[in-house]
Amino acid sequence: MVPRTIDFATLSLQDALDLAILVEEEAKERYDELAHQMELHHNQDVGGFFRFMVKIEGVHEGRLEHRRTELFGAAPRRVRREMLFDVEAPDYDDVRANTTPRQALEVALRAEKKAHEFFTRALAAVKDPAVQALFAELCEDEVEHAGLVEQQLSRLPPDPVIKAEDVEDDPVAH
Amino acid sequence: MSSIPVERPALQAKDFKSDLKPIWCPGCGDFGVLQAIYRALAGIGRPPHEIAFVSGIGCSSRIPGYTTAYGFNSVHGRALPIAQGIKLARPELLVLVAGGDGDGFSIGGGHVAHAIRRNIDLTYIVMDNQIYGLTKGQLSPTSPRGLKTVTSEYGSLEAPVNPLLYVLAYGASFVAQGTPADMAGLADVIEQAIRHPGFSFVNVQSPCVTFAPEDQQVKAQRGRMKTLASVGHDSTNRLAAMGLAQTYGEVLYTGVLYKDPAPQPTLDALVRERQAKLALEAVPRERILDMFLQK
Repeated sequence: MVPRTIDFATLSLQDALDLAILVEEEAKERYDELAHQMELHHNQDVGGFFRFMVKIEGVHEGRLEHRRTELFGAAPRRVRREMLFDVEAPDYDDVRANTTPRQALEVALRAEKKAHEFFTRALAAVKDPAVQALFAELCEDEVEHAGLVEQQLSRLPPDPVIKAEDVEDDPVAH
Repeated sequence: MSSIPVERPALQAKDFKSDLKPIWCPGCGDFGVLQAIYRALAGIGRPPHEIAFVSGIGCSSRIPGYTTAYGFNSVHGRALPIAQGIKLARPELLVLVAGGDGDGFSIGGGHVAHAIRRNIDLTYIVMDNQIYGLTKGQLSPTSPRGLKTVTSEYGSLEAPVNPLLYVLAYGASFVAQGTPADMAGLADVIEQAIRHPGFSFVNVQSPCVTFAPEDQQVKAQRGRMKTLASVGHDSTNRLAAMGLAQTYGEVLYTGVLYKDPAPQPTLDALVRERQAKLALEAVPRERILDMFLQK
């Protein structure tokens, strides 16, 4: 069986960097999936926002990959995506076909906070000082990202009041 | 031609992801189930061309198309007979079957019992959303009593089928339950089910985002699911498993309910054994022809 948990106490800097890259990769792929879902349901505004998030997560991933290559070259990766589940990736059940731009920003905000929680918990278990420094940096990054999303949220007008029954399929025939 | 041993690179979840993008409703539980299947298959380590993935009809039966394995999106309720045929004809393949509760326990209900008693080595994953979602929300065999749908405006009067109790009663040697609210746990039980020799069954409580109420959605499941490990369940005890299975619809248990510690030989293994035995006594084709031609 593939291990589905990470032993943070024994994590090396190389493994930690690979893990951080995989976290960004997972988030990037999830935003791409969510963008596709929104586009399929003609929700172009939210689809566009999720596409923007694909780019952002890609940039973060690229930066980490660059650092990893500088430090460890092409040394084979020892951690696997199968060890991660939804660290910074928004939850599938957090979106609906009629998700509004404001709700989409809230989805992104929850994802950033979730990642912050993950690295904070990991930090408490990590022993290697270099890994501690990396995770502390990643924690700060997530706080900064969450702040940026909050700024965007504050600029958006509140959602119009729409009753759920106006937009959802009615389960009962009439 | 000399055979050169080739070391297989470790497979990753993304190796099982096809180019086809899921078209389920946003928020559907099946997205999480698909991720868990990718991860379970990566854990198994068999390449996609050694896997046959069969399904029936319904939202969840789209799953084979979203994987790189050989897929067969077959006829409503007939995924199990097709999968059994594949396994008997090509025993070296890893055979997976997926479908919904309607496909498995209504139109295909009769096949489940026979697949279990034959004990062919395959894994059956049912995405149990307790409704016919694809056809716009009619009562399914696992719909709870009282559920209001387009076919039950005043609430269902029928008792639901209990899929866990059903398969346990017919003698399934591996029975588990999971939810997309715990993708890691779900990946783990699916991988265990695949590794189990014989018919294995995984019931996934995968809510319908469009027709199920909010209190049944993935978010709500996170708050009420209970792992079988946390209640100290002994998964080798069939009667204890049946006891817990009776709470279906009330308590959302996740994990392995029952795993036969001494599984019986699979039908596909028995068939191969018999074929090998009969081959020793087989009359050569030339002699059969001679007998017909009366030379």
